[in-house]
Amino acid sequence: MFFSTLLFGLVLGGTYALVALGLTLQYGISRIMNLAYGDLLIAAAFLTMLGFTSYSVLPPIAMLLIVPLGFVFSYLLYLFVLRPLVRRAENRAALEIDSILATFGLLFVMQGVMLLIFGGNIFGYSWLDNAVDLFGVRIATNRLLALALAILLALGLYLVVTRTRLGLALQAVANRPESAPLVGINVEQVAAYAFALGGAMAAAGGVAFSMIQTFTATSGTALTLKALVIVIMGGVGNLPGALMAGFALGITETFVAAFIDPGLTLAATYGIFLLVLLIRPNGLFGKAAG
Amino acid sequence: MSMLEVKGLAVRYGRHEALHEVSINVAEGETVVILGANGAGKTSLMNAIAGRVSPFSGSIRFLGEEIDDQPSHDRVEAGIALVPEGRGIFPGLSVRDNLKLGGYPKRARENAGSTMERVLTLFPRLAERLDQLAGTMSGGEQQMVAIGRAVMSAPKLLMLDEPSLGLAPIVTQQLFGDLERVRQAGTSMLVVEQNVRAGLKLADRGYLLTAGRIVREAAAADLQGDPDVSRAFLGGLEDAVH
Repeated sequence: MFFSTLLFGLVLGGTYALVALGLTLQYGISRIMNLAYGDLLIAAAFLTMLGFTSYSVLPPIAMLLIVPLGFVFSYLLYLFVLRPLVRRAENRAALEIDSILATFGLLFVMQGVMLLIFGGNIFGYSWLDNAVDLFGVRIATNRLLALALAILLALGLYLVVTRTRLGLALQAVANRPESAPLVGINVEQVAAYAFALGGAMAAAGGVAFSMIQTFTATSGTALTLKALVIVIMGGVGNLPGALMAGFALGITETFVAAFIDPGLTLAATYGIFLLVLLIRPNGLFGKAAG
Repeated sequence: MSMLEVKGLAVRYGRHEALHEVSINVAEGETVVILGANGAGKTSLMNAIAGRVSPFSGSIRFLGEEIDDQPSHDRVEAGIALVPEGRGIFPGLSVRDNLKLGGYPKRARENAGSTMERVLTLFPRLAERLDQLAGTMSGGEQQMVAIGRAVMSAPKLLMLDEPSLGLAPIVTQQLFGDLERVRQAGTSMLVVEQNVRAGLKLADRGYLLTAGRIVREAAAADLQGDPDVSRAFLGGLEDAVH
């Protein structure tokens, strides 16, 4: 029972981590609090479902198309909707308020479009839901695949951030945006890439999510909130922090559901969140200042 | 031809005029020091050249090209590197990453490896601490990181804003020894300094900036012990209180 719960927790945590990685890129580096983040994820989930049920495109194959789509969509969104806000914002607080308002509007547009197309039902599809035996635990193949995809994508992002020129620029902007132009970094350009990369992670998260969960046209809001909780727990802009916090939350939720009461998972999530805010406001892995 | 040519530069913050009709130039291979008391406008001048503040009027030419409309990151690409007051390093990144970021401009990438070697020879202390977070180092070491990072961009013009600020006298002495070696390597430099003696010792030529105006220009040797210079610093103290 313990081991199977841990395994389920890892699967859930992997998706959470993936989702939070994208949001921490957008919030920590582009300085955009994107309230429509979860809706992009759900849009990707719908696309995956549509591809699978109507055109028999397997989800991992669909991912190859949907992830670049998420990147391009988010890049254009930044360029045409958010960059004007960045340019006119006098300080970080002003940008935060403007971006929250703008993406709050976007959230309703996206949910409206999805409601219009799909209606208010619960959706999902079954693919590879046969159980396999792993160390004595019976677990659905699609869950293992979702975990593997999450780990693979997180690893890929880690390599991009630590091994590439863009990654170094991302780290510089996350650490001290005002110092980045001193070394020739075009902060606006890097912010656009970070936002787009975050959108790509959301799309990837959506594909993985659709493989293991059912969803509705309005599921995005809860996902945004959960991702935000993880981002703050991990420390805003802190990628390893988001990864660890994502897994921690997934494992906590499954343990609370298995050993205490499934109805308490949300309460547990926000309980931990409150505790972190009170004791470590910069996140579990955040630095004291700077 | 001058490498850097600033003509009739004015910088205003609201109604306060920080710089008034300032004209200076720096020739290829030359080291120029700007002397002036607190509040004389030295930092405004550096920031205007680096593109961190927009001038109210006047023009800035670098290598014969007008750069007034270029954003600051493009000026770095063109060959101007600024070590600002307060250093502007990335405290949360390692010394290695700070230096690597110095080599971010396209122009600097090709020889990044050999430039890194040069920087580490110049500042052996940094070589021992490549993996340390830059923010956890002492003030003098952070200044080394900032200068090393600027050198990494293979600048044609290296600008330093108050490099000795907050450093112990012995550390300042060491730092100016290091800068002397950068100068000998042929890099043009524009240095703002309150430490008049150290600044004049390093420079070929100097300008005296008082209350936003250039009041004197002379060879560094001629400015040493000049009564105008000492008076400017005493007068500057009054100007500093806006």
